[in-house]
Amino acid sequence: MRICIVIFILFSFSSCWTKVKPVTPGIDYKRVWGNKPVYDAAANAKLISYSSAPMPVSNPGNIYAKGNFLYQLEIGKGIHVIDNSIPAQAARIGFITVNGSSQISIRNNLLYTNSYDDLLVIDITDLNNISEVKRVSGAFPEGRYNYYFIEPVESGYYECPRYDSVVIGWVKDSIWSSCYKN
Amino acid sequence: MNVFIKRIFIVFTLSVFINSCTKDGAGNTSADASTGKAGSLSKFTIVGSFLYAVDNHYLYTYDISNASNPVRTNTSEINFDIETIYPFNNRLFIGTRTGLYIYSLESPSSPVKVGEAQHARSCDPVVANDTIAFVTLKGNSFCGPAESGLYVHDIRNVFQPVLLRTVSLANPEGLGLQGHYLYICCNNDGLMVFNVADPANPVFVKTITGGYFKDVIPYGNQLICYVSTGITLYDISNPADPVLVKHISN
Repeated sequence: MRICIVIFILFSFSSCWTKVKPVTPGIDYKRVWGNKPVYDAAANAKLISYSSAPMPVSNPGNIYAKGNFLYQLEIGKGIHVIDNSIPAQAARIGFITVNGSSQISIRNNLLYTNSYDDLLVIDITDLNNISEVKRVSGAFPEGRYNYYFIEPVESGYYECPRYDSVVIGWVKDSIWSSCYKN
Repeated sequence: MNVFIKRIFIVFTLSVFINSCTKDGAGNTSADASTGKAGSLSKFTIVGSFLYAVDNHYLYTYDISNASNPVRTNTSEINFDIETIYPFNNRLFIGTRTGLYIYSLESPSSPVKVGEAQHARSCDPVVANDTIAFVTLKGNSFCGPAESGLYVHDIRNVFQPVLLRTVSLANPEGLGLQGHYLYICCNNDGLMVFNVADPANPVFVKTITGGYFKDVIPYGNQLICYVSTGITLYDISNPADPVLVKHISN
């Protein structure tokens, strides 16, 4: 617990670190206007939840059908739940927040997804009371460096993200020109 | 439709017989009500009590017979740029940007590569049945230079897939197979319906327009389409003629 607090305090100061000019031999970084990562402590970003209010879709991903329900990934953020029991009235009915997710598969009432580099098993028997059955940490090692928010959407300069916590979004700010996206 | 169900039932019955000698057979997934059905762009799939997941380089196998304790039983390095995974009848079909790989699930805890069909660099989801694998290749600056289209492979000899036919299509992406009908998402060009009763000669049936089609799941009498503006549901009681039922907007 104490460690968590220390880490949290370090994170809250992390925005100050960007003022320090990164040092790479042979490269002179410039102060530019670009995208800066918004971090969250991994433990916090990995909390799952269900909201019975449908969310708008902004970055849709894979679809999955099981029984009377459809599911669609909101890449990097979670899973839309669609009630398809009467197809002519099918509609989004809620959203499962799983940051760092991009995949889905379901067996019985257990939903399998990824959350950054973890494999996550979620009991969806009762959507309003979903529970994390198991999280296999580091199941997919690539997921630590390769998830949706690891890069900003738009091209241009951005501040290279750290890997000791997770990126949950990007904001425009004055940054050092440490990374560039074509 | 009934013919399809009958066929699935026969296949399932056969696979039960075949599997009865193994401890925990990975039966026919499409007849397995305990799991759902994914679109063709998926990287996760469950067969029997195993979860198969691909990232860009690896195929991971997890034994999920005890859900509260998934255990990794195998890691296989495949190659770069794995795009999709599709299960059918004790096989996994893995689409990568340089080829189609077929893995046997005879031993479900450790899939073994049995066949492959190399192709020029491109994006390529795949669907398959016992004898045929349908692959769409999308050649563009991001995916690679291959000629875009539908590629039909004969996989009766799974060790050596044979390219039977190519059908040139502009922007093919996800695809779905149900019975004798193949549904191909062609982005802005619409959803194309082919009759593949004779897989070597896919017959174009019609195009459904009105969206940027990404992926599709034939699910019983329903065709579930992932379009850029939302999800569109069609009735395919007549598989040759999808009828719009509902569009769910983003």
